[in-house]
Amino acid sequence: MYISPLREPLIRGNKNYKQVTDDVLSPMAGKPSKYWYAGITLAGIALLFGGWATFRTVFYGIGEWGLNKTIGWGWGITNFVWWVGIGHAGTFISAILLLFRQKWRTSINRSAEAMTLIAVMCAGFFPLIHMGRLLLGFYIFPYPNTRSLWVNFNSPLLWDVFAISTYFAVSLIFWYVGLIPDLGTVRDRAKTKIRKAIYGFLSFGWTGSARHWSRHETVSLILAGLAAPLVLSVHTIVSFDFATSVIPGWHTTIFPPYFVSGAIFSGFAMVLTLMIVTRKALNLEDYITLNHIESMNKVIILTGSIVGIAYLTEFFMAWYSGVEFETYAFFNRAFGPYAWAYWIMMTCNVITPQLFWFRKIRRSVLLTFIISIFVNIGMWFERFVIVVTSLHRDFLPSSWTMYKPTVVEVGLYVGTLGLFFTLFLLFIRVFPVIAVAEVKGVLKSSGEQKKITDHE
Amino acid sequence: MENQKFILTKKLSTLIYGMIGIGVLSLAVSFLIGTGAERIAANLLLNTYYFLALGLIGLFLVTVHTIAESGWHTSIQRIGESMSSFIPVAGILMLLLFVFGGLHLLYEWTHEDHLDEILLKKVAYLNAPFFYIRFTVYFAIWILLAHFIRKNSLLLDQSGDLKYYRKFRIFSAVFVVTLAVTSVTSSWDWLMSIDAHWFSTLYGWYVFSSMLASGTAVLIILLIALRRMGYMGHVNNEHIHDLGKYLFGFSVFWAYLWFSQYMLIWYANIPEETVYFYERQKNFSTIFYVNLILNFVIPFFALMTRNSKRGSSILLPVSVVVFIGHWLDLYQLIMPGAVGGEASGIGITEVGITIGFVGLFLFFVFRSLAKAPLIPKNHPFYKESLEYHTQY
Amino acid sequence: MNRYITAYYLDEEDLLKGLGHLKAKGLEIMDVLTPFPVHGVDKALNMRRSRLTRVAFIAGVVGATLGFGFQAWVFTVDYPINIGGKPFFAVPSFMPVTFELTVLFAAFAMVIAFFVSNKLGPAAKAVIHDERITDDRFLVVVKVGDGEGEENIKEIELALAEAGAEGITLKV
Repeated sequence: MYISPLREPLIRGNKNYKQVTDDVLSPMAGKPSKYWYAGITLAGIALLFGGWATFRTVFYGIGEWGLNKTIGWGWGITNFVWWVGIGHAGTFISAILLLFRQKWRTSINRSAEAMTLIAVMCAGFFPLIHMGRLLLGFYIFPYPNTRSLWVNFNSPLLWDVFAISTYFAVSLIFWYVGLIPDLGTVRDRAKTKIRKAIYGFLSFGWTGSARHWSRHETVSLILAGLAAPLVLSVHTIVSFDFATSVIPGWHTTIFPPYFVSGAIFSGFAMVLTLMIVTRKALNLEDYITLNHIESMNKVIILTGSIVGIAYLTEFFMAWYSGVEFETYAFFNRAFGPYAWAYWIMMTCNVITPQLFWFRKIRRSVLLTFIISIFVNIGMWFERFVIVVTSLHRDFLPSSWTMYKPTVVEVGLYVGTLGLFFTLFLLFIRVFPVIAVAEVKGVLKSSGEQKKITDHE
Repeated sequence: MENQKFILTKKLSTLIYGMIGIGVLSLAVSFLIGTGAERIAANLLLNTYYFLALGLIGLFLVTVHTIAESGWHTSIQRIGESMSSFIPVAGILMLLLFVFGGLHLLYEWTHEDHLDEILLKKVAYLNAPFFYIRFTVYFAIWILLAHFIRKNSLLLDQSGDLKYYRKFRIFSAVFVVTLAVTSVTSSWDWLMSIDAHWFSTLYGWYVFSSMLASGTAVLIILLIALRRMGYMGHVNNEHIHDLGKYLFGFSVFWAYLWFSQYMLIWYANIPEETVYFYERQKNFSTIFYVNLILNFVIPFFALMTRNSKRGSSILLPVSVVVFIGHWLDLYQLIMPGAVGGEASGIGITEVGITIGFVGLFLFFVFRSLAKAPLIPKNHPFYKESLEYHTQY
Repeated sequence: MNRYITAYYLDEEDLLKGLGHLKAKGLEIMDVLTPFPVHGVDKALNMRRSRLTRVAFIAGVVGATLGFGFQAWVFTVDYPINIGGKPFFAVPSFMPVTFELTVLFAAFAMVIAFFVSNKLGPAAKAVIHDERITDDRFLVVVKVGDGEGEENIKEIELALAEAGAEGITLKV
């Protein structure tokens, strides 16, 4: 197939197939670096903090949190939405970019999908912990019981149960099916008996047979076709948690696609944060190139701009509607007691992504890293602003009050950050961080060289 | 193969003039048989907006694929460019419609002596002078950008100088960004303000998704028509397959936005919002549900298999269905507020005037296609498009 | 007794050319093993289109029917409750769960069918012809029947050599 010379190579360094295998798989062997140990120690400390906060919440109850009658949802749901949103980038890269035939996804999709699974686990922690009677958490699923009760199918919170469960399950099998051929590679390279046995088990007997590959491609394509609407549906249903209500700032029809865009926006920022460190630490700069970083930044301008247009639309409609409660809600966001949160959100979400219009910034690893962190800060504040400002001052002024998180709530959030980084650091030790077979598949068309025949 | 130029045959031009003739005749007959002025104005608004949107989407598809560095799309980019030639025509027709009584007939916020307290609150935005200023700004931006995009596309082709490619890309990016904003605000001005007491933040994106699906359908119809006339031989089933995937995807996306808007308003059950759908489900119920069948059920099930999208036997009829379907979608966006259940219907006015607009649209599209070689030979990604296999 | 002759290529373009050569000679190729999917191999091996898509569609329909039907039964027959004034048969409310179950059923059914049809699984006993396949070798496997004599084996080996393959070995 002809490839225009205008296209930037996706794999640098004139690699052959063997080098791809070696480059990606060698970080998995041997001892981890001191940075890895430092990272997992820090993450572990955060996790311990979360463990303490979990203990306080389970043994002393939700009263340990800063919620009150007016503001019944605070940091808990903000963090839940933040984590789910971050997870969406992985599926976007695996599924939607596959459907759009974007070959540059091949070096980042494995890690991004792993990030999704971990992020969804972190997200799922919050609905679980906020229930109070954790051991009765299974009540949320419809099963025949002695109370003759079913779940409330009219509730978006219930739709969420199905959406998040399906999302986690389907992402897991999508990630794993893609991983199997690479696990075969790890198995075949394994030097010790234990390693061979473990990866032999995990690789499900993969041989590389053409028949298997053919079905594997079909399955990947159909899963991509299923996962694409799935990822849209999940954050849409999350947005329904708010949009189906009647309160100003929450009940607005733009929420579904606006939340989805915001999710992809923050998710790509997190992928960038992780990949910029990973590529340096594991010497994978030839695979996760400046081209990849630039492409991800372009997605960030696109989704960030969509979010910006959504802000303007909401703002305009708040006035145009003539509904004084709606108008006040937006006035309060910008000038009320939580204005500081609102302006952090606007700066981080509207201004920073627009910087990527400049090519120099798009291709600067350092600036991208910094901006990616700001985007995630901004998106956290967006959920905080939506949740808390709409609740703290709605229709009845006598109910107006303020909300502040307690140490326990902060601890739970920090704990999920710890969980996220712990699991990700473990992932890079146990699994190949790049989809080796997929990269080999595009090496000829998109690598720097022509024919690959030299072997060591 | 040599670089073909489209040639308008006598047969085709007779057909086109015939269609335009039917349109003019239907308009005249409508006046004569006493069709309500609101209904005639609403039909003119519907069609000028619909075909304007098709022109904008044609250009949008070209520009989006350009900034995404898509290779396969270069083979068909002339079609999108030619669709955009209708934009200035729509502008003139729309302006005439508004100036010669249409504004007053269609929009209750222009009846300054009858403004209730809700409409009074919106006067800063919904007033005729500001309305016309925005109108001018929209068309100025669109016409200028369409002109520069087309100019650089042709210069690139004539000279092969990549500096024109760079300019083409920059103007494409500017167009995508400005269209994102202006398509939303223009839909508020021209469509949403018909039901001036109502509002929905999703409205702009919903209308855009509707036009996107229909624009893709029209692109497919034009492509298949050209191929059947013997042109565009370099285009094969691979390209058509991709367009079919778009039609499927955009139709599903439209249905998703339709459902989001509908369900959220249904769920909260706030009367000032539900009155919008109540009117449509009660007095326009057939069209309300047929809208869903034509624009979602049919494309979803008919275009699911791989083979349905490779080739024209299923893709062409489905594209026609989608084109009609989104016309009906616009119908139920405009008619309930502008005309009401009693006075509206689907008759000579609707069918005839639409046929006239189809003819007019084709006139300008074919005229534009004839002006340049159909193959953008000097486009840097064109060669990719020739040896193209979609692989799945 | 299963006997195979295996031979490898170092490049997928050579593999495809070689396969054409071998097919012309009328050799029955049992399998081709590659480190990544190579397009053109399915045609060379006359593989038919996968039926996994049909599995996914049927399972999806089952999921949709189950999801929608169950919700409708619960809310109209078994335990109707007035939730915020919504009708018992609340079609818009039922859509999200119906959609999720469609996707869930379709995805799982298809992946399970994938594992079953390929005989892949945690306890799978697969024949690994060459450990370098998953690295950078493209292997061709030709089956040798029980009744085949030495001459036939030599013929096959010659054909493979002519087709540019290396490392031609007889395996038992």
